[in-house]
Amino acid sequence: MQSKLSDTELIEQTLAGNQAAYADLVKRHQRFVFTLALRFTKVREDAEEIAQDCFIKAYRSLASFHGQSKFTTWLYSIVYTTAMTSLRKKRVATDSIDDENTLIQLESRASGYDVNNVENKSRSFYLSKAIDQLLPDDAAIITMFYKGEQSLEEIAQALGMEANTVKVKLFRARQRLKEKLERNLKHEAKELI
Amino acid sequence: MNSIEEILWNYIDGNCTSEEQKIIHTLIAEDEAYRLKYQELLNLDQQFSAIELDEPSMAFTYNVMEIIRTENAQVPLKAAINKKIIMGIAIFFGVTLIAMLIFAFASLNWSTAGSSVNLTYNFKMPAIDPGKTKMVVEGFVFFDVVLALYLLDAYLRKKTIARQG
Repeated sequence: MQSKLSDTELIEQTLAGNQAAYADLVKRHQRFVFTLALRFTKVREDAEEIAQDCFIKAYRSLASFHGQSKFTTWLYSIVYTTAMTSLRKKRVATDSIDDENTLIQLESRASGYDVNNVENKSRSFYLSKAIDQLLPDDAAIITMFYKGEQSLEEIAQALGMEANTVKVKLFRARQRLKEKLERNLKHEAKELI
Repeated sequence: MNSIEEILWNYIDGNCTSEEQKIIHTLIAEDEAYRLKYQELLNLDQQFSAIELDEPSMAFTYNVMEIIRTENAQVPLKAAINKKIIMGIAIFFGVTLIAMLIFAFASLNWSTAGSSVNLTYNFKMPAIDPGKTKMVVEGFVFFDVVLALYLLDAYLRKKTIARQG
């Protein structure tokens, strides 16, 4: 059962030495942090490692969080920095995700779920698949905007960008996601025929 | 100039001024192209809002907390000691030492007779007033009791919070 206390109250308790309060904070935000990390790494094991790393980093520097922004905005900025550093370290060419080869890999990965019956696949499956095919930045912005309860200004703060840049990026990300979604659905329809 | 899509996304996201909102509202109501595009984008917006979050492994929170516990346990004693307390003790001893030295030097008989050096002290302990001493001792004990109660209260509070968590 999750705590009914606010993030700020849980942070205060954590700073007073109550580690259980921090465990509640982790439970509350772990799904989103993990999803955000997954948008960058595309691999579950790596995403879990990054997400764990983020919560540990956040714990270590919790005293420096003075509440000028939402805790989630602060936490997501840690996720973004950690994920980008990890990507750079692993020398993953982030823009190669759009390559044909990668696309085929992603499609074959997703098709593990495929039972050759398009009717059995939910709309959310196609959406997840399309998000997987987006560039990490696009996927992260879409996720933060729709699932992270973050405004454009807050996303900009977390990513260290201008709010207008985020607005343009969000617009382009939506367009690309729409295209991927349509392409995947067309592809499935052709397979059935 | 913004495209129809860009204008409509701004409208859907609520990033328009009230005047712009009125204009776009009228456009959607009167222009077929705007209305169709608006419906399409609204539909997409609803789909995007339904994105499902991924679930990490069951042991995720446990793993994070375990790393934190291990890290905290590994903090060396040197780092765990409150430096303010050390400073307080040092200041107390320093002040006491200086006060004793001042008192000792003030009590010394510096006058020397002839060539022979007289190093004898004329050191007398200050007279103790039993009435005043009793008051000081009582005050000291009272302060100690209050301090002990305060520390006990802080310890019990910490323990209660940890148990509730």
